[in-house]
Amino acid sequence: MGPKDQPKGHLEARKERILFSYIFMKLLEGRPRSYDRTMDKVSRGRVLEIKRSVAGKIPEGARVLEIGCGTGELASMVLTRASQVEGFDVSPKMVEAARRRIQEESLSGRFRVSLMGVDGMDGLAEASFDAVVSTLVLSELSPDERRFALGEAHRVLEPGGLVVIADEVRPRTAGRRALHAVTRAPMLALTYLVSSGQTHPIPDLAGEVRDAGFSVTGEERSHGDAFALVTGQKRAEVG
Amino acid sequence: MRVFKAIWGLLFRLFPCPTPVGLRRLGSPGPTSPVLVTCNFYTTVRRLVRSLRGVDAWLLVADSKGVNVWCAAGGEELSTHSVVSAVKTSGVAEMVEHRTMILPPLSAPGVSARNVRKETGWKVRWGPVRMDDIPRYLAEGFERREPEKRATYDWRERLDTALGSLFPFYLLGAVGFWILGAHLLLSYLAMGALCFLLFFLLCPWLPGSRGLTKVMWLDGALGLALAATWVFPAPWAESIRAELVIAMVVLLIYGGELGGLASTMPSDLDPLMARLGVGAVGNVAWAGTVRTELLNGLRTLSIDRDQCVGCRCCAEVCPRGVWEMGEDRRAVMARREDCTACRACLVQCGSGAITAEPSAPE
Repeated sequence: MGPKDQPKGHLEARKERILFSYIFMKLLEGRPRSYDRTMDKVSRGRVLEIKRSVAGKIPEGARVLEIGCGTGELASMVLTRASQVEGFDVSPKMVEAARRRIQEESLSGRFRVSLMGVDGMDGLAEASFDAVVSTLVLSELSPDERRFALGEAHRVLEPGGLVVIADEVRPRTAGRRALHAVTRAPMLALTYLVSSGQTHPIPDLAGEVRDAGFSVTGEERSHGDAFALVTGQKRAEVG
Repeated sequence: MRVFKAIWGLLFRLFPCPTPVGLRRLGSPGPTSPVLVTCNFYTTVRRLVRSLRGVDAWLLVADSKGVNVWCAAGGEELSTHSVVSAVKTSGVAEMVEHRTMILPPLSAPGVSARNVRKETGWKVRWGPVRMDDIPRYLAEGFERREPEKRATYDWRERLDTALGSLFPFYLLGAVGFWILGAHLLLSYLAMGALCFLLFFLLCPWLPGSRGLTKVMWLDGALGLALAATWVFPAPWAESIRAELVIAMVVLLIYGGELGGLASTMPSDLDPLMARLGVGAVGNVAWAGTVRTELLNGLRTLSIDRDQCVGCRCCAEVCPRGVWEMGEDRRAVMARREDCTACRACLVQCGSGAITAEPSAPE
């Protein structure tokens, strides 16, 4: 059974040690047309699987904000349940690709995209979303930017709103960290040489989500403990 | 790791070497201390911290993907967005009372002072080009002397490029020894060191205004040595010839890109490649860019003096002193021949007076 046939919403810990491909993102970002397809191929469907499980956590009819929407692949999946998605991306080519998707999949009115980085989130209205999602974006940001993005995510959510983040994290045990470092090294070196881009595994994603004011409701680890899907909830106002 | 990064940053400075972005304290800064902005190239930050010993200031390290200020600004790694993001997410606004940042003027091709102000409310001051001048500049009320606005290519900068070019050349050579045999290792190391150090250190005195012309002299000398191997038979003549040819080609490439390595000369390699039809490698493109088209004469830098509002932006950021203010307080292009097509004036001109229009066909 291939990953595409699996039921959505579940990231099981796998025993295989196939190089995980999100490092390739940097290489492919300049070519959005083939981005999703190549990402999916090199990750053996894994990226798609992750996006599917993120989408599966979104409540029906929700208004969703996506941090770093890329070509809009996740947004399109989220829209099978959500009522609307607002996405932004810092890469002009990605925004262009996402706008093409809006045309091709007739999503206009339900999926809006703007060109900005997380630093532009302070322009979004307070308490205007029911969920904030992001996959494989925070690991490309600096700790300051992550703190800012999660803080803003908290601000723009309605009380009780959800945050769902899937990203590369630092494995918890020394052995796993070493294994992760070794398997990751060739890909890192290649990425460095070709594009000078880098990603930084997040030391404590759940902790950062908690520090932003959320109560963490779940953390699913996978891919040799090097990947996490963290869900949090903005506390409902008391009194 | 720090030692490794220091060595890597020095010997392989042509490759990115990132250091964490964010706000750092230099000395013990307070709410009125100046805020300096720089890139996140490890070597730059290390040297900056050393140059500013004894100064109390905030250092805001913006994301340039580990590339130095000038290259990153030209390649759009250091952009308005990276500075805006650093200002907004670092919390620097809570640490100081003022809203003025000091930017390195070599970042002007990438960072628009106008747009930084629009998006953050922070005013931009252009600091001195060389970091060694910063303590004096800070102590004397943020006034730059004329030479501090201009890029130079002094012997330390040239030694930097020489070392930074030499070691990748040695790496390339490692592949060559598979073919040539290890007995030539010493002569290869010596020849590499000699060629690069000679070329970069002698560079200002080699005839010609462009890197490609300058390197021809050195390649000529190597060519004579090549011819001599037939006249005076030497042991391993074949291998020495191969080595000389490799050195000539590599020097030609580096010489051609001298303008890309020094902030005082235009690139020769990019416009040449664009003319040959090789417009891009990977995600790095030069064909069709304003810079390359300026260099290839497809565009011309010009000013509509009626639109000039006399803000001095161009004269303040040009590392070559191309722009001057005329008697009517509007900019004039005083030294077009010195222009390196870095685009700093184009990016900073807020009135739309400076443009790079497609050249009229002759």
